Amino acid sequence: MYKIKLESFEGPFDLLVYLIENSKMNIYDIKVAEITRQYVDYLEALDDLDVEVATEFIVLAAVLINLKSKMLIPRFSENGEFLIEDDPRVELVHKLEEYKLTKYRAAMLEKKMEYFSGVFEKPQEDISKYLDNPDEMINLDVDQFAKAFILFLERKKKISDVRKNYQRVEKQKASIEERINQIVSVFNGKLESDYYEFSELIPNKDDNYDVALTFVSVLELMKEQIVTAEQEENYGNILVKKIDKKENEIE
Amino acid sequence: MKLNSKKKIKSAFESMMFVWGYPLEAKEAADIFDINKDDAYGLFKELQNEYEQEGRGIRIREINKAFQYITISENEEYVEKLCTPVKVKKLSQAALEVLAIIAYKQPITKSEIDAIRGIKCDRVIEGLEKKELVEVRGRSEKIGRPLIYGTTNEFLKKFGFGSIKEIPEIDDLEDTINEKKIEGIPELHEQIEMEI
Repeated sequence: MYKIKLESFEGPFDLLVYLIENSKMNIYDIKVAEITRQYVDYLEALDDLDVEVATEFIVLAAVLINLKSKMLIPRFSENGEFLIEDDPRVELVHKLEEYKLTKYRAAMLEKKMEYFSGVFEKPQEDISKYLDNPDEMINLDVDQFAKAFILFLERKKKISDVRKNYQRVEKQKASIEERINQIVSVFNGKLESDYYEFSELIPNKDDNYDVALTFVSVLELMKEQIVTAEQEENYGNILVKKIDKKENEIE
Repeated sequence: MKLNSKKKIKSAFESMMFVWGYPLEAKEAADIFDINKDDAYGLFKELQNEYEQEGRGIRIREINKAFQYITISENEEYVEKLCTPVKVKKLSQAALEVLAIIAYKQPITKSEIDAIRGIKCDRVIEGLEKKELVEVRGRSEKIGRPLIYGTTNEFLKKFGFGSIKEIPEIDDLEDTINEKKIEGIPELHEQIEMEI
């Protein structure tokens, strides 16, 4: 039995050419039955036939079997005349010839590539220094240059002085807890029927942070069943109401 | 062209090729001297011949009517002792087969390649495209207008062909590759023995 893996063949023709050559068969006089037997035996010998790999191999097996059956059955025309057809193997032989030729050409290319891998070329070098592209010179005398440098140093000193005496102050931002307390105190002592528009709860409507913070706080209060909110339409006003539950009395 | 000016132009071509490094197009060189591009091509060919005749370690190679200085393969081991050029990985058997099909049959469609090998070649073609050995040349006029493939200048360089016309015809099936001398590669006994 053949101990070769399917993957070691570059395709069904590769396997077929191998089998034909191995059994010393003439490519122009293929014994179809024998070679089909070998081919199918070979496919069967594979333990696990990987469908992905094997599909094309099986197609050729079908072609071979079809070929054999064509050779067995004589053809007659409609009025009973025996038809002498071309040898049905011709097409397969053409394909095999073409494939063998490809293999020779591939081998030739391989040798060529091996030989020419020893050939080196030079990459294009940076030739800008040969081209007329002179560096730009600044027209300055030493005094002017020194003055500019001193000016630069002084400016630097000024900035570091300012930094030394002043600290950067950042506005303190409100937290969710603080905002929740604010909203709760607004609702404190109000009746159930009282409501506020969401926008009324935002201290500074121009500040995106404030808007977001208020929104998150309202959501938190809704989760805790302290307030409820309604919006009649998309992008419409949001009305925030207090939920009146005795056990949930807001302090 | 006068013999005198011919010599001068050839010498100029040598200098230009040296500085340029990349393949210098015969047409571009012709424009500089305001001569016919076929004449310029002829001069490059003469130069190429001279380097070969003299057996120099630097040769001129042609890539689609452009010319470039290269070293000869026989000197590879000495060049490598001096520095370590990046080695190109060998191509797989499948890649070589697909490349051979494209090289000989170009322009060719994917399905035509598949038919010759009896197996799908998509991945292999992709790999060859990545290596810049083959490229899409356009679309076929056939049904479905499939893409057609051909070889690149990089292919010509790597395999030592001046143009695709130089790819040798191998038509004798019974003649195995090992017995046949491959055009463009000197046989062993032809190579000059070097004494160190």
